[in-house]
Amino acid sequence: MASLTSHLAELVEDADAVLLFSPTASFHDRFADDDADVVVVAPDNDVNADPFVELPVPFRDIRDRIRFGLEGSAAADLVTEGDEVVCVVGVFEGEPDAVIRVTVDETAQSGIYGLFTDSRADPEVIRDVLEVAIELGKKGQKGKPVGALFVVGDAGKVMSKSRSLSYNPFEKSHVHVGDPIVNVMLKEFSRLDGAFVISDSGKIVSAYRYLEPGAEGVDIPKGLGARHMAGGAITQDTNATAVVLSESDGLVRAFKAGRLVLELDPEEY
Amino acid sequence: MIAATDLPGLGIAGQTPRELFAAVPERIWLALVVIVFGVIVAFLVGVVSRRLLTRAGVPEAIEGTTFERTARKFDTSTVRIVGKLSTYFIVAVAVLFALTVAEIRYFDLFWSEFVAFVPRLFVGILVLIVGIIVGDKAELLVVERLRGVKFPEVGVIPTLVKYSVVYVAVLIALGQVGVQTLALVVLLAAYSFAMVVLTALAIKDLLAAGAAGIFLLLRQPYGIGDEVRVAEQRGIVQEIDLFVTHIETDTGEHVLPNHVVFRTGIVLIRS
Repeated sequence: MASLTSHLAELVEDADAVLLFSPTASFHDRFADDDADVVVVAPDNDVNADPFVELPVPFRDIRDRIRFGLEGSAAADLVTEGDEVVCVVGVFEGEPDAVIRVTVDETAQSGIYGLFTDSRADPEVIRDVLEVAIELGKKGQKGKPVGALFVVGDAGKVMSKSRSLSYNPFEKSHVHVGDPIVNVMLKEFSRLDGAFVISDSGKIVSAYRYLEPGAEGVDIPKGLGARHMAGGAITQDTNATAVVLSESDGLVRAFKAGRLVLELDPEEY
Repeated sequence: MIAATDLPGLGIAGQTPRELFAAVPERIWLALVVIVFGVIVAFLVGVVSRRLLTRAGVPEAIEGTTFERTARKFDTSTVRIVGKLSTYFIVAVAVLFALTVAEIRYFDLFWSEFVAFVPRLFVGILVLIVGIIVGDKAELLVVERLRGVKFPEVGVIPTLVKYSVVYVAVLIALGQVGVQTLALVVLLAAYSFAMVVLTALAIKDLLAAGAAGIFLLLRQPYGIGDEVRVAEQRGIVQEIDLFVTHIETDTGEHVLPNHVVFRTGIVLIRS
């Protein structure tokens, strides 16, 4: 009688590459003399692995996490179109507990990796802005849900394609996202109308900006409001990335080149 | 006395030390007391200094330095070595003081020089230990700072920093002990002079850009999003930091050093 092991063996058979998500050192060492390429995908390179893809946000959605790992590996030419890849991930907390087999399909790129690495802004800046948006979505402003729109990168163009709604509270100040005190400040200012404009290096250029992009051909899902439309459209007109926190459904969405790239639920972080 | 008569066996024993006490001159006893007192004080100072250093967070601060690791290999630690050193120093002082009290005259000349020498030796050794540890620590810090730089040549810099610190420490220690260090001082002066001159030459432009950048950041004659013409480049300001200004034109993004911006002037274009 065939055992469970033999049934499931085909899941990992003939794999071209193995993606280990946040492995422990001893777990990683077990794969050391494997035929398949081993790629480590983790927030920090604790195991000093050579093919390493840095995970800027610990995506709770497994599909996002795997997409990020796959696209990161593809960008580094570790996997190519049609490769069979086995992903070892931890669905629940702690140890890797799931094995998922996927085929690399370059036409189905979601752009989630490019959101961080191919943007004009530094990956850390985009990560910091996402973190602020997630925290804002989780706590809201004084218990009430708030919406916010951050336009990150290509600040010069964004500024020239927008106008000020009121005096800019960040004028002549030199504050950068990522400082804890600034995150508090951004939360306070989130009650203001308009968008935050953040430069490539993370400097907060302005708040209270009314974006005036051309909105033709912006492809964002129906049902999203004016804030999302403005965010999506500005990324089509410029090389910026928009991070939008929705006031109505509380989700954080990232837009790039006029396309919805990432959707996160703040409650899961 | 009553106890002694009651117990005849102890009576004789009690008598003998009394004679011994009388036979030895008083100042020898005094000297012995001084030595015992000195040893106790030395022990206490050793313990207290060890505690103080630990409380001050010295073990955490020097964790991982070569000196500390070597000390660990010999089953001791830097803090313990420093504690021991202070203990020995005080014992040595006590012994010398005792010898003075005991008035052992024929050693006078030798001792007087030695007495002056002991504290200096102590300070010298202490400076050496501190110097080696600070050198190690500086090396570790520089290595940490340069971790992002993936050039193999960069490995020279931490070592250079370490040995510069150790060299200065050795100089001070030798000076304490009274060795002629003039040649070494001259070497140090030449070395530091070369360092200062070469560094100044190398970062001349950076300094100029930084100085201009401070003005630009404080006064902000132009900001991100403004259309400007600087050094024949017309475009939109994308980024300003301490050293450079990024200006995006139709042909590409120009990264201009701030002193160039400052020297050529800025034309703000308002449409």
